[in-house]
Amino acid sequence: MKILSVSTATNHLSVALNDGQSVIIEKSEQDERNHSEHLDPLINEILQENNLQLKDIDRFAVAIGPGSYTGLRIGITTVKMFASILNKDVVGISTLQALAASVNDKDTLIVAGIDARNDNYFAGGYVNEGGQPVNVLADGHYHISALLEAVKDYLAVKPLNKIIFVGSGFTKQEELIKALGVPFSYGTDDQNVIHAGLIGKLAVAATLTDPDQLLPNYLRRTQAEVDWHKKTGKPFEPDSNYVEEV
Amino acid sequence: MSKQKDIRILAYESSCDETSTAVIKNGRKIESLIVATQIKSHQRFGGVVPEVASRHHIEVISQITKEALAQANASWNDIDAIAVTYGPGLVGALLIGVSAAKAASMATGIPLIGVDHIMGHIMAAQLTDEIEYPALALQVSGGHTEIVLLKDPTHFEIVGDTRDDAAGEAYDKIGRVLGVQYPAGKTIDDWAHQGQDTFNFPRAMMEDTDYDFSFSGLKSAFINTCHHADQIHQELNKYDLAASFQAAVVDVLAHKTIRAIKEYQPKTFIMGGGVAANHGLRDRMSQEIAVLSENMRPKVILPDLKLCGDNAAMIGAAAYNLYNEGKFADMTLNADPSLELPYAKSMLE
Repeated sequence: MKILSVSTATNHLSVALNDGQSVIIEKSEQDERNHSEHLDPLINEILQENNLQLKDIDRFAVAIGPGSYTGLRIGITTVKMFASILNKDVVGISTLQALAASVNDKDTLIVAGIDARNDNYFAGGYVNEGGQPVNVLADGHYHISALLEAVKDYLAVKPLNKIIFVGSGFTKQEELIKALGVPFSYGTDDQNVIHAGLIGKLAVAATLTDPDQLLPNYLRRTQAEVDWHKKTGKPFEPDSNYVEEV
Repeated sequence: MSKQKDIRILAYESSCDETSTAVIKNGRKIESLIVATQIKSHQRFGGVVPEVASRHHIEVISQITKEALAQANASWNDIDAIAVTYGPGLVGALLIGVSAAKAASMATGIPLIGVDHIMGHIMAAQLTDEIEYPALALQVSGGHTEIVLLKDPTHFEIVGDTRDDAAGEAYDKIGRVLGVQYPAGKTIDDWAHQGQDTFNFPRAMMEDTDYDFSFSGLKSAFINTCHHADQIHQELNKYDLAASFQAAVVDVLAHKTIRAIKEYQPKTFIMGGGVAANHGLRDRMSQEIAVLSENMRPKVILPDLKLCGDNAAMIGAAAYNLYNEGKFADMTLNADPSLELPYAKSMLE
């Protein structure tokens, strides 16, 4: 099964071609803020080097969030259109699960996170079971103190040898992390970026999505909606209630 | 003589708060047009919230692609080019259309065309009637107030521009003062028809020799008038307020545009943009042009009311002209939120 995977969730753009579990090629561009300009040429490069066309791909996979809102939408829009037009399978993979997939350590709580500024993180907890990162602390938008509290609660029930923090922005929280009293380490530079090849691996067993329903998992409402809700007390309706064809 | 092959373009527009797709034949005929509007959503906030707009765009983009093809009774094999608005507009919103159009082009092998949103608004006229060149356009919307000279179907130059607020923006702002829900243009236009110009708001820059506009002074005068009345507990007639505001806007737009028509002597006069749906402005421009001497009187094309707002049909019309010139985009096409038509030399001096 040929899988083309994409991550535009962070400033690290990554595209990979997998044959099932094995990564054929992965290409990345570090610190690249113009994903819109570079994504499609990078996909074409990979396809051409492997004498493939888009229609030869069996399954598309994409980092579905959390991450940069605009970044996520570039990758997801691209992949959803590919799958919709070519009638191919498509799956969305948690950005945090993809980050956690770079850690193979046993008896370890993997805290995968993306710095969301002001001591906030888009983060989730994972453990590696049989080579797969399994979610144990839900992906969410946490203040660092709430995140570490959740980590503490989890370890109280399920003692593990150590914690590894992968992703971005954790080293500056070292004092708070130390206070947990559990051995810990940080991911290597290579583990701290999202690898499309790992998304491809996770895509093999992932649940298929209808391309029209493939949407970013932002994990946060917009500030405008939050303010509106506070001010009016009105409930949030499904987004589809606010958009009408005229 | 053999009949030329029909050219069908699938077009995308997502620059602000409408997600739209269309199939346009030969740049003139609408074979399908889908417009998913987010107005209800942004009414919660009193104006368009960019992040909310982007979130809505991605929710419908693949679905309305299929709908545009189905409504046109077309498959991808019938499509000769894929067109998309790449600017100006909200960057996050533009990126949905741009990403979708590029992906569609890659998946199908159909060439891609990037279209300037303003060129699109002006080319809505092409869906109503044939444009003869040179043409002159008055482009009035929430973001733009420009007089544009069309040398040919793809070479446009701005000869007049607003120095501050766009006309449509002024409508929305004074609408807020009058308690009119966003977007305010249609209601103000309706009220204006029921009132009289009794307030004599300023007509800024009307007698200047250039073709530029300014609406912030008018907006301030309007707001000050309302605030002052509030302070002395005086109730103002909202219909007269609307009529006075609209008269000031229309006076300046009409006066300067007529002068530009006399100077550039276009064969066709076009109106475009959301404010081109304003009946006061449409009627006034038609009347003023009708009384021009015959040798100076251009043909007038006012776009269909439903094509004045943002839509993909106008993008497909403009893209057809670019298609004929072989102006295609490649896979590095990016959104350009501050894209501008070129300015005429006279504007740069």
